[in-house]
Amino acid sequence: MRNLIYLIIRYSAFILFVLLEVLAFTIIVKFNQSQKEIWMHSSNLLAGSLNKRVEKVEDYFDLQVQNDSLVAENARLRETIINYRVSSRNNAFQNFEQQDSLNFYELIPVLICNKTLMQRNNFLTIDKGSKHGIEVGMGVISDNGIVGIIKAVSTHFSTVLLITNSQSRISAKVNRNNLPGSLIWTNPNPRILNLADIPKHADIEIGDSISTSGYSISFPPDLYIGKISDFTVEGGGNNYNIKVRLGYEIAQLEHVYVIKYTKKEEKEEMLELENE
Amino acid sequence: MSSILQRNIVRALFILALQLILLKRIDIGFGGFNYIHFTIYPLFLALLPYKINKTLLVLIGFVLGLFVDLFYDSPGVHAAACTFIAYARFYILILVSPAEGYSKDGLTPYNYGLVWFVSYMGIFLFVHLFCLYSIEAFSFVYFTEIILRTIFSFIASFFILTIGILIFNPKY
Repeated sequence: MRNLIYLIIRYSAFILFVLLEVLAFTIIVKFNQSQKEIWMHSSNLLAGSLNKRVEKVEDYFDLQVQNDSLVAENARLRETIINYRVSSRNNAFQNFEQQDSLNFYELIPVLICNKTLMQRNNFLTIDKGSKHGIEVGMGVISDNGIVGIIKAVSTHFSTVLLITNSQSRISAKVNRNNLPGSLIWTNPNPRILNLADIPKHADIEIGDSISTSGYSISFPPDLYIGKISDFTVEGGGNNYNIKVRLGYEIAQLEHVYVIKYTKKEEKEEMLELENE
Repeated sequence: MSSILQRNIVRALFILALQLILLKRIDIGFGGFNYIHFTIYPLFLALLPYKINKTLLVLIGFVLGLFVDLFYDSPGVHAAACTFIAYARFYILILVSPAEGYSKDGLTPYNYGLVWFVSYMGIFLFVHLFCLYSIEAFSFVYFTEIILRTIFSFIASFFILTIGILIFNPKY
């Protein structure tokens, strides 16, 4: 017995090393699969508030650029509203339109307070959480295109799984012929994504534009993503290997919008019925 | 003794602040080539006193790694790499042992000379980065990517790190 205790004390460093490595790998495997949310929640509480403060100071440096882009965006939105008003005035089904199609999506403007961009699994932290009505699964867009999906929510912060994350999978389509596929990210370049699941008999060309399909509950249909920059067929494969070039730089984002889909429960119910 | 403790705590805070607030935000890439990340926090583990208890060192490595993970949104990856390098430090020290042995406690260029420190820190950082990116990719399928990331990050980080240590030139 005494020898055993002596042995343990003598090799305590090695034993602790093995134990901690096992613990660390357990954490990696566990949190990389499905329960990342728990970790995200606690790290949001601690790192989020610090990062927010740093970001606040940083904000002053590019205030002018941000203002310009906001003004441009506001102008575009106002333009849309005016155009819409004009067109709906001439529309015989005005009442139906106003009740049904206008209130499907609400946008919550948020500020990014932390970015992880150049790893294999990339995330954003944003400065609003469950208190402001954000829920897991909502889509996140910028004024130029889609950004990601809400992965975890705490009271005042949320974590966004970026489209440049190896675990991200977004339903998209080729605009010209409405072919649906999945948008994934496999290569290290943050501006090139891959469109999977497009069969090789399909007719596609370099320069075709890609948009969201609207089949999922995260994104509305027809949000621009990017253009096809290159495509190949792998030997023996049935699908194209399509490269999609993003039309915007995620690294430069500051303000983004979380999309709240008001008919979410209804659509979820229908999707479940479909699967039964 | 307490002054060494205080010195290490201050150093840890300084290095972590630099790493997590400043260097984490810098990613150099050109033309779809994003392999350069600045990683200097292992310096803290490398500069801990020579006579530190091995068990304590492994524990410090784990806690440090976990703390860095909080900010990098990568649960466990840095923790695993730091625990490994904390344990491996003992063997790296044997490998680069100077001719007269380790007579002083502070593992710095002030005590053992710049040449010794460069070889010690070089091996230390390279092993750490290689570990880190292997664990992050979690499979050797991405071997070329791991190697490229390791080499380019190593060169960039080591450059900053050596300049830093030459500016401060600490005794302990």
